Order: sequence, then structure tokens, then C-alpha cells
Amino acid sequence: MVWLGTIINGVLLGGLYGLFGVGLALVFGVTRIVNIMHGEFIALSAFIALGISMLFPQVHPLLLIVPVVVISFGLGYALQALFINRAMRLPDPLAPLLLTFGLSVIVRNLMVETFGVSPRRIGQGDFAQLSIDLFGISIGVLPVVTLTLAIALFLALQFVLRRTEIGRIVRATADNAEVVRLMGVKPSAVYNIVMGLSFALAGIAGLMLALRTAFTPFSGVERLLISFEVVVLGGLGSFWGAMLGGIALGVAQLVGLRLNSNSGFLYGNLVFFVFVMLRPNGLFGARQ
Amino acid sequence: MLLKVTHLDAFYGDLQALHGVSIGVDAGESVALVGANGAGKTTFLKCVAGLIEQKHGSMVFAGNEISRAPAEAVARLGIALTPEGRMLFPSLNVEENLQMGGLSRRPGYWDLRRIYALFPLLAERRLQMPNTLSGGQQGLVAIGRALMANPRLLLCDEISLGLAPVAVDLIYTSFATIRAEGTAIVLVEQDVKRASAASDRIYCLLEGRVTLEGGSRDLEADVLTHAYFGT
Repeated sequence: MVWLGTIINGVLLGGLYGLFGVGLALVFGVTRIVNIMHGEFIALSAFIALGISMLFPQVHPLLLIVPVVVISFGLGYALQALFINRAMRLPDPLAPLLLTFGLSVIVRNLMVETFGVSPRRIGQGDFAQLSIDLFGISIGVLPVVTLTLAIALFLALQFVLRRTEIGRIVRATADNAEVVRLMGVKPSAVYNIVMGLSFALAGIAGLMLALRTAFTPFSGVERLLISFEVVVLGGLGSFWGAMLGGIALGVAQLVGLRLNSNSGFLYGNLVFFVFVMLRPNGLFGARQ
Repeated sequence: MLLKVTHLDAFYGDLQALHGVSIGVDAGESVALVGANGAGKTTFLKCVAGLIEQKHGSMVFAGNEISRAPAEAVARLGIALTPEGRMLFPSLNVEENLQMGGLSRRPGYWDLRRIYALFPLLAERRLQMPNTLSGGQQGLVAIGRALMANPRLLLCDEISLGLAPVAVDLIYTSFATIRAEGTAIVLVEQDVKRASAASDRIYCLLEGRVTLEGGSRDLEADVLTHAYFGT
């Protein structure tokens, strides 16, 4: 029974990890850019959420999603439009990666300067601690909400990409950015929207992280590794793969912690390592 | 004149691919570009479509100077290109590929229904992915996608390359309907016989220069061979 509880909680934690990865997968799938800044932005949006919750303490923490999504989308859009599109025009394919790396260092240090390094959290007490008792297994309400939200977002993203005109344009641009120009589509405008969406997803991930646990300006860079592992486990560019990858890592981490409470994320990394050795293209990656 | 290109030079880095090329296309006309590999035919089409930035010379399309216009702007003015190798979007099914062509929302005769009437084969396969189609069927999708923009000028780059003769016939037959709806066509073609049969005028390119131009019916075979190979 204890193990069942561990696994269930691991699956729930996986919802959060899936959220970490999906924005990264989206950007990589469309622009082929590895966005090193993704982790920093998860931390930054946690601080943004904290700021809003301090301004409006009476608002339920889950409602913070709305302003966080709007602000994150705008920041992602602006980042792509002002900086990354320029780097993508350079002949060196490493330029965008180095740019996001540099920006991540800047943003992290700006957060340290502005917010300090002491751990913060949102919604002291009540909501984060709520749990339900299911046949003797204690399940947190917040992790259930997180996983549900993650699945809903995955479905929504899937719907937008498969069934709407903008989704069609995004997929076509990912296929061939030169040919879409012949149809009157400006690829950089598509990238702006995709980066906005990616940041909105990272923003939600940051908010859920901030509700769940204490965070510092360094929480993002710690999660970047998880984000990458989630994306690679799932197969680059696959969203359901990212979700399942997140769940695999979540379960591995919690089972590992039960075996050895000092293991941290070691077991997650081990699962990742073994998996990549066995199946380098990921769960849903194209087989070569 | 619908398209008037004068003294066009184009470059890939330090390599000059076109030297002072002048080519004109009248509204509703069909013009063929022939020439050996590397003669600059594809480069010329890409220049007109706005895909090559390193160029100088004048290109006037329907009264607009387009030599500095990016590909997206050129597309909205009514120039559609079916690129070499067809370049369908592999993640989009047949119908979605066609819909991509209609994004510029240019009004006109062509829409999904009329494309399916022109190529009934595509209507049956509308939900299939491009990689499950034969080369000929992919060619039809490429043409349909270009037509969805209701272009005034359709540029076809080696649309028949590697296709079965039956498929090529089907494509060339459709050109009559396309022209009847007022679209001018520029064909790049390796097969000189087919090119002259399907066009009003022919330009022959050799090493980035126009070596011959004339009415498709008037050109003598040996003159054309001379212009083609430079012998």
C-alpha cells in the first residue's frame, strides 16, 4: 500500500515534470532551438506569480494562472521578436542556443539581485497542504490539480495544432520554413507565437511549482535538466511523449526517495540514462 | 506585360548564377524555360518568387517593383511557385496542404471544391499523408496548393521530374484549364519537346544567360540544340 501511494504520487509529480518539458518540446519541434532559458523562465514566472499574489492576497492561488499566462505569452513573444529571430538569421546554427544561454545567466542573476536567494512560496498553508485520503493512501489535492491541468493543456495544445488554421501553419513552418513563405506566411511571426505559447506553458509550470514547494532564483536551472530529460525521454518534439516521460521521471524519483531518502533526483537520472541507452530516439521518436 | 524582368543578376555568395537575364511574361501566357542542369532556371524562378536576396536588376510584376520584396509579399501579389521536388508539407494531409495554399485569401476561381473537380484523385485521398501518395499524385497536390492562392502567375519548377508519363500527361492537360482561368504559367522543364508543346514562347538558358528566345512553334530543333548545349 505504501508503494502504491508512492507510485500514485510519482505519477502526479510527473504531471508537473511534463509541464516543464512540453514548452521546450514545442519550441524545439518548430524552431529546432534548444532554449536554455526555459528553466530560468519557470523560476521567473514563479516570482511573477508571487508578486501578483502579494498585490492581490484575496485571490485564490489557482486563479493566478490567468495573469501568469498572459504575461508569460507576452514575454516569450517579445523575446523571440526582439532577440532570437535575429540570432536565427545568422549562418551559425549555434547562435540561438548561445543567445538563450547568455540570457539565462542574465535573467538568473537579475532575479538574485531583485528577489534575493532566500526561499519563497505562494499560498502559505491551506491549499498546498490539502490532501484526500483514498483507501489509506494520502493524495495531495494540488498534485491532482496539476496533473489534471497538465493533461488538459496537452489536449488543448494537441487540438490547436491538429485542428486549427494557426496549428496547420505552425506544423507547416516546422516542416519547411522556406516553402511557407511562398504561401505568404512569415516564419518569424510564427516563431513569435510559438515562443509565446512555450513561455505560457512554462509560466503555468512555474506557478504550479511555486504553489507546491519553496523556490529561489536557482529553482529554474535545477529544473532545466528535468525538462530536457522529459523531452528526450518522450522523443524530441512529441507532446504525449513528454507527458509520459515526465511521469516516468516522477515515479522514478519518488520510488528512489523511498529506497534512499538522500537520493534526490538520482533515480530519475538513472532511469533517463538507461532509457536513452536502450532507446535513443525516445518513446515516440522516429525509429531510424 | 504581367512580369517583366530586366538585366537580372543573381548570386549564391561569391558565385554568380544569373548574368543579365531579361524575360517577359504576358498575362495568361505560357512560357517555358529550358536549359541544361545548372543553367540557372531554378535560380530564376526563386528570384521571381522572392526567395533569393542576393540579386540586382529590375523585376516588375503587375505594376509593382518586386526585386526587393520578400517571398511573403510576392506571394500575396499573386505569384505562386511549385518548388523543385514538390516540397509538400509531410506533417499535413492532402487537404491541409491545399489549405496552406489558400492562406493569402486572394479571391478568384480556385477553391478546394474546384481543385477536387480538376483532380478527382485528390478528393478521394484528401485525408492521406503526402508520403503515402505516388510522385504523380504529389505533383497534383503541389499544383493544387499553388492554385489555391489564385495566382496570376504560376511558376512550375520541374514538375514532371521523375514521374510516370501518364502522370505527366495529367499535369500538362490541367495547364489548359489553369490558363483558361487567366493564370499565366512559367514552366521549367528538361524535356524540350514537352516544353515547346505546352508553351507559347521558349527561353533557353545556358550558364546563367539567355541564349535563345522565340515562339515555341517557330524554333528549329537544331537552333534550339545549339542554344541548349552551347555547341
